[in-house]
Amino acid sequence: MAPPLLELRQLAKSFGGARALRGVDFDLQAGEVHALLGENGAGKSTLIKIVTGAHQPDRGTIRVAGELVDHLTPATAHARGIACIYQQPALFPDLTVMENIALRLEAGAPFARVDWKGRRSRAVELLRRIGAEISPDAEVRSLSMPEQQLVEIACALGAGARIVIMDEPTASLTQKEQHLLFAVVRELRRSGVGVIYISHRLEEIFALADRVTVLRDGETVGTNPIAAINEAALIRMMVGREMTQIYPPSEAAPTEVALELRSLGCAEAGVTDVSFQVRAGEVFGLAGLVGAGRTELARILFGLTPADAGEIRLHGQVIHPRSAVEAVAAGIAYVPEDRRRHGVVLELPIAHNMTLAVQRRLFPRGWLRTEAEQSLALEFIRDLAIKCTGPDAPAGSLSGGNQQKVSLARWLATKPRLLILDEPTQGVDVGAKGEIHRIIRRLARSGLPVLLISSDLPEILGMSDRIGVMRAGRLVGVLPGGSDAHAVMAAALGQEQGAA
Amino acid sequence: MSVATPTSPAPRAWLALLRRHETILLLVLVAEWLFFYWAGTSTNRRGVVVGFGTLDRQFDILRHTCEIGLLALALTPVILTAGIDLSVGSLLGLCAIVFGGLWRDVGLSIPLAMALTLTCGAAAGGLNAVLITALRLPPLIVTLGTFSLFRGLAEAITRGAVTYTDFPTGFLALGQERALGLPTQAWVFAFAAVAVWLLVHRTTLGRSFRAIGFSPEGARYAGLPVNRRLAFVYILAGFIAAVAAVIYTARLGQAKADAGLGYELFAITAVVLGGTSIFGGAGSVHGTLLGVAAIAVLKNGLASLPIVIRLNAAEELSGVLTGALLLVALTASVIPRIVSRLRPRPAPPVSVP
Repeated sequence: MAPPLLELRQLAKSFGGARALRGVDFDLQAGEVHALLGENGAGKSTLIKIVTGAHQPDRGTIRVAGELVDHLTPATAHARGIACIYQQPALFPDLTVMENIALRLEAGAPFARVDWKGRRSRAVELLRRIGAEISPDAEVRSLSMPEQQLVEIACALGAGARIVIMDEPTASLTQKEQHLLFAVVRELRRSGVGVIYISHRLEEIFALADRVTVLRDGETVGTNPIAAINEAALIRMMVGREMTQIYPPSEAAPTEVALELRSLGCAEAGVTDVSFQVRAGEVFGLAGLVGAGRTELARILFGLTPADAGEIRLHGQVIHPRSAVEAVAAGIAYVPEDRRRHGVVLELPIAHNMTLAVQRRLFPRGWLRTEAEQSLALEFIRDLAIKCTGPDAPAGSLSGGNQQKVSLARWLATKPRLLILDEPTQGVDVGAKGEIHRIIRRLARSGLPVLLISSDLPEILGMSDRIGVMRAGRLVGVLPGGSDAHAVMAAALGQEQGAA
Repeated sequence: MSVATPTSPAPRAWLALLRRHETILLLVLVAEWLFFYWAGTSTNRRGVVVGFGTLDRQFDILRHTCEIGLLALALTPVILTAGIDLSVGSLLGLCAIVFGGLWRDVGLSIPLAMALTLTCGAAAGGLNAVLITALRLPPLIVTLGTFSLFRGLAEAITRGAVTYTDFPTGFLALGQERALGLPTQAWVFAFAAVAVWLLVHRTTLGRSFRAIGFSPEGARYAGLPVNRRLAFVYILAGFIAAVAAVIYTARLGQAKADAGLGYELFAITAVVLGGTSIFGGAGSVHGTLLGVAAIAVLKNGLASLPIVIRLNAAEELSGVLTGALLLVALTASVIPRIVSRLRPRPAPPVSVP
């Protein structure tokens, strides 16, 4: 038997303190579609980045077509026939299909004459090979997203790719477009190309894949032929059984309703008919896959994309925040997902970052008061155990976990009436993660209602008193705290209950 | 950050202060001034000291600098928010014409004409603000448009021919006399400088300008009223441009449509020379003041050098040297980064062929 196209053994990779991969085994045969499945943060993206040469593994071996490769860069990965098709194709929108293909494939001699005839015939040939009906003269801007993906695939084939990685290729496609893409994937398989197919949609995996490998917490849980496994078993493999981390116990004695959403919706944000209640002192977890509409819901509550349907009641009072300014005035605090772009201003000192949302209260007449600011900052630095050289250090000089605490401190300083946390521990090392969990518990105990958005399933299960599950912009279920992971994952994936 | 806090140990604080852009600029300014004092001062045949070193000449520099200095003060908050306002020079011209017209053609009193001119300046700044915040157009394009618009209006009002003159002497004192030992307009400039300094360095508004300049999205997520803050800086810039227009008119005793032609570029040069980042966020008002002074001393000092007077090349040389000064200052600010990049690093592992 020929050696596999790609063979990974015990691949490990850490970022700072966070271990993204702990020991992954994976192999890909010629003429195979091999699905890669796992929760958000299970290590799929890191794995792809290593295979495409963007990251170097800390440990482990990579063999391409049986040959040991000990240093993969984007250029050598390309030369060895590894290509990745991303969700958002990286093509030049103002150039034609033919020109885009040529740019990828031609070695540029600065003053060479352009061989338009050769370019055209190659483009036509490549597009024909994948069965795409796209004119080589069409401007890429005029193509639909799947057509652009097809152009990417044509480029990959033209470069002699033997290993094609597809990262959630159907995430933004319509049903019809998906079928077109599936046909191309099958065509690739027939021509002996190995396809690594990443998707959250189980039905696609069953329709397309030959084998499936499940990753969890940076480790391979198992590889199975698709015929030998069912959906319930896959879900079980994804979520695992035991908790990997100890979560502080909930002491919630929820009292009155603090936040109530009634049929809340916003067409622009893609959120429809969301209704739930959060009690004071309760941690309400929001689970769901990436793109399920959880961050969008938070942005509605924070006034960034105002609601166009339904009602928000905060402590019995109907509010309709149309801007972040209004949301803050209403007592809503939002610790955003993208810490570096939204959570803190990296260049500003820690102290300035912490007072940005309380300027009006701390400096009522508009004059900065350095002593008040410094003492507030020092208090939070001590209280949240922020590791820094002092309140004047720029926020950008801190580690991810400490930046997150600065972002949190900014909102705690406002003495909020509702705290929304969006992926509060994403990219944060284990120690800081535990500290943030304890802080969340403490805040809930003091009577603050907390809306916790997280893609880290154990975190949602361990921290929440109740769990709302969202899918495609809708709330598809509210489960009690301590629910098991299967139930949450099944709801998030849109599977019927009872299969497990 | 521009406001130092005395937390670090003394020797390191000294070193940090020495490496600050403002400190270096101050040293350049002093060196410049001493050079021109030495090379540009002489005694004429009658034994009278003439040239750069005289008090009259120093006051002259001050008078000529106030308008560009005011525009540079107006631009500092704008550039801190990562914006730009190219229209301030044209607005100076428009406001000068409006002021002259209100006084002579409409027949208003000088104080009333002044008040209306300042309102007009703020309103023109408001036009920039609306286009930038409500329509989300880039400041460079908006103010490039109003740059032409304001100058064009000034020329249309005067048909390119009318010059307003014969202002009352009481008004001309603002631009030509002295008050409390200094040129009168220097007091206006000093007041504006202190006010803008306090605004930028001591108020929550100034803090928001920086936050917006560093990260407009970050500022929005912090619940800051980004659009209101941006509107404020452009309206303020328009208002200060109108103040500069009144002073300009008083200094020259006439208001013409070409008043303040090209001043915006000098003002931007001064702000950037003063260490304010054109990308927003970082910078200081005292830096701007030093930048204005460095350019003003250079320009006027050159004109007093005997060799330059003989060659009659003051204008040309000052243009060349101002440009050179700006480029040197900008280069100096990136040198530490380049040096750190050149430092030897561990060689990357050899890749597979």
